[in-house]
Amino acid sequence: MASVIEMKEERKDLKEELETTDMALFVRTSEESMNDWNRQRIVDALIRETYIDVDTAKEIAQEVEDLIVTSRIKMITAPLVRELVDTKLVERGLEQARKMHTRLGMPLYDVDQLILHPNKENANVPHGPEATNLTLAERIKKEYALLSVFSQETADAHMRGDIHLHDLGFVDRPYCSGQSLEYIKRFGLSLPNSIAMAKPAKHPEVLLAHMVKFAAGLQSNFAGAIGWDAVNLFFAPYLEGMSDRELEQLAQMMIFEFSQQAVARGGQAIFTDLNLYWEIPKHFENVPAIGPGGEKTGKNYSDYMKESQRFAWALFNVFMEGDGSGRPFFFPKPLVHITEKFFQTPGHMDFLHHICEVASEKGNTYFVFDRGETAKISECCRLSFKLDQTDLEDAKEPWKMRYCALQNVTLNLPRIAYLAKGDDTRLFSKLTEFIEVTVKAHLEKKSFIEKLLSIGERGPLALLAMNRDGSPYLRMHRASFLIGMVGLNELVQVHTGQEMHQSRQAFKFGLKVIAHMKLLVDKLSGRHGIHFVLEQTPAESTAYRFAKLDLRFHSPRSGDIVKGNISKGEVYYTNSTYLNNSAVLNPIERVRQEGLFHPLIEAGALTHIWLGEAKPSRESLANFVIKTFKQTQNDQIAFSPEFTTCNACNRTSRGLRSSCQYCGSTEVDGITRITGYFTKLSSWNKGKIGELHNRYRNQAYIEAQEGETVLKAG
Amino acid sequence: MIEIKGFLETSFLDWPGKICSVLFLPGCNFRCPYCHNHPLVFHPGQFASISLKQILRHLHSFKGWVDGVCLTGGEPTLHADFPLLIRQIKERGFPVKLDTNGSNPEMLEKLIDKRQVDFIAMDVKAPLDSFSYRRSTGLSIDLALISKSIEILKRGKVEYQFRMTVVPQLHSEEEIQALGEQLRAGRRLILQNFNPENPLDPSLKETNPYDPKFLKEMEKRVQEMV
Repeated sequence: MASVIEMKEERKDLKEELETTDMALFVRTSEESMNDWNRQRIVDALIRETYIDVDTAKEIAQEVEDLIVTSRIKMITAPLVRELVDTKLVERGLEQARKMHTRLGMPLYDVDQLILHPNKENANVPHGPEATNLTLAERIKKEYALLSVFSQETADAHMRGDIHLHDLGFVDRPYCSGQSLEYIKRFGLSLPNSIAMAKPAKHPEVLLAHMVKFAAGLQSNFAGAIGWDAVNLFFAPYLEGMSDRELEQLAQMMIFEFSQQAVARGGQAIFTDLNLYWEIPKHFENVPAIGPGGEKTGKNYSDYMKESQRFAWALFNVFMEGDGSGRPFFFPKPLVHITEKFFQTPGHMDFLHHICEVASEKGNTYFVFDRGETAKISECCRLSFKLDQTDLEDAKEPWKMRYCALQNVTLNLPRIAYLAKGDDTRLFSKLTEFIEVTVKAHLEKKSFIEKLLSIGERGPLALLAMNRDGSPYLRMHRASFLIGMVGLNELVQVHTGQEMHQSRQAFKFGLKVIAHMKLLVDKLSGRHGIHFVLEQTPAESTAYRFAKLDLRFHSPRSGDIVKGNISKGEVYYTNSTYLNNSAVLNPIERVRQEGLFHPLIEAGALTHIWLGEAKPSRESLANFVIKTFKQTQNDQIAFSPEFTTCNACNRTSRGLRSSCQYCGSTEVDGITRITGYFTKLSSWNKGKIGELHNRYRNQAYIEAQEGETVLKAG
Repeated sequence: MIEIKGFLETSFLDWPGKICSVLFLPGCNFRCPYCHNHPLVFHPGQFASISLKQILRHLHSFKGWVDGVCLTGGEPTLHADFPLLIRQIKERGFPVKLDTNGSNPEMLEKLIDKRQVDFIAMDVKAPLDSFSYRRSTGLSIDLALISKSIEILKRGKVEYQFRMTVVPQLHSEEEIQALGEQLRAGRRLILQNFNPENPLDPSLKETNPYDPKFLKEMEKRVQEMV
């Protein structure tokens, strides 16, 4: 919205003689036309945008005009005029009016930098004109959010780094969501504002096309991940009679479609989760299956076990192969649910070996553990929702099973410990204070989104307001509000002097903190009648941001606490409730100990087992997975190998190297999991690079290959 | 009592399908040029000994996770009191896997008869002729002992596996095939790629291992021989 006011050259000499009201200035407006200078416009803007009175507005306009005239500026820009007006508001102590009258935008230099250099806040955003558009828009919306959507108290808490409001640049959308394929199977693809309405798919390829388009539509209405429930099962009624080849072809199409959606919004791949089951989940067993044409097939889902299993198997064949140059697919992410029923379903060991082989070779597999009667749907990096009784009612009509988290707010836990100065009472009361701010932030976002949704299908969130089955697509009463945490390990370290892996007491204190948070969050849910849940924030950039801010505000104390390399600025806090990622810890110990937090973190948690170059045998991995299910409370695990991919010869090898193992070229990219997804190292922010340097890869625990490491570990 | 020179809490590779702990014992009667555990063979004094008691206490905390204990070296069967060590571990309820080069068939036979081991992995170094074996082990080896051990394992009284570490300079395609023919062990013969990190013979550092794909194919071929 560049409007520039210029002094017209030929009339400049006349300027002094003329009344200032006749000042020969042209205003280049946002409508790309030129208007004469008119003091009244300042008055109009002040009256329209703020609550000040006409006389004051006129006074200010006059003062600004005088200033411009006497300063002999040759070219003035509209932003300058606006800021000049703002200084006059400040002089009069009209703080509120100044805020309302302020202007959002970016300095020329910043835009220049942005267009020329890649964005490092989210490694899932490539660099290009689309990405730049996205970043520019995000910057303005972020300012808008902090000024206008959130109260000053909330915004300040964010700016200070007490809390982090995630995806502020997407303030006008909910955060992330979980979908059911049944919705598009039943209603076809008929999106508000779209030109053509597609009837329910008759063929699996068309269903896939609908799924991909709908996902892209949803991506424009949510900030983050889009998860799909029981994908293999819901596809099954379309797959009858297909040969293995055809099935694998379909699986390949699905994975490539989702992995190459980098042509979508901002050049950003859709963060897609595919939830997969080997068994027929209990809650879908007796549900009438929907098949081609959106019709009921006359059978229940339990009759489609064979097709469902074959499709799951085929998907993992594709993951095993990797992309055209043997790299692991970054998206979609396959999440396999391991349940009691999984172990009662024939063929489960073969399937487990199959997905463990993929885990060892490519790392894609996420093992989600649903113990007892809980059923879960996963969506974001590690966000999963436990289905409760009403959800299980919904399961009878699975198209109703659509979920969302409206927002994610993360607490800077180490900050609380610095402020508490070693005093327990202070620590817990500060923690409560921080959570209260978080709750306030959630309520503010909620009322903003409700405002947008209230305009219905003619409003900005038309897709989420569309009503095909008697309720809007986004079911607000089922929405969750996420409360995340970063740096529990450092909180404990500041407060007790030891990191969580260093002593039992330290670990127990960490548990106590999270238990307190859980209790509080439950209480507040009851009080406000909305669903707050704890989540392990992925904190791709937050762990870095908090560490940087604490180095500024809480040094020298923080200097001993932040992890990473301070001199290089590669600093971070340990993510969520994790143990120090550089600690030499047996993976069994890590899975067991980190798992103790998981029951408290309702919205899902994950333990990473970094593999580096090691390739454990699939049978041993399966063994480990089974034991994790049976003997721990851990919610989810993933094994993360590292790769080097060569841009010269297009081949991929194991481990992170500075040159290609095959052709020697140094045009290589490292690939590994960042927080909850695979990506190239070149796109990582400094904090995550620091974390990677420290990453303990379990080299001494996975295999007995390098004699010396082994002996040292002993 | 044998000194234990190394302890790996958990391994996902050393015992097929199991999570096992690995104990390293010092000393060896072979001098394989590609050995990567040679500090353990020549300079066991460099490494602090770990008491069995300490190890067992440690294993206790992984109860229900660690499926067994793998004993490796060096060459464990060199120690006369090795069976005693095994017994102590078995008494704690842990199945035992033994890695051996097959030079002590007598001990193998006894251990098997007394059901003291649950799995034996025997390293086979080259085709069974004295020239090849000598080249791969660095010493003159009594092949009769090796053959005897192979014969004992093939009786099938205990689960077993033959492993061949493959070094391009020492093992041509024909030689790998020749050993496959002699063993005819089917899927119980596996090929392992040589690791050039820190071999006993430093000149091997410059050697590139076989392409893993090639190795997989070779393995498939020798596994078809039964």
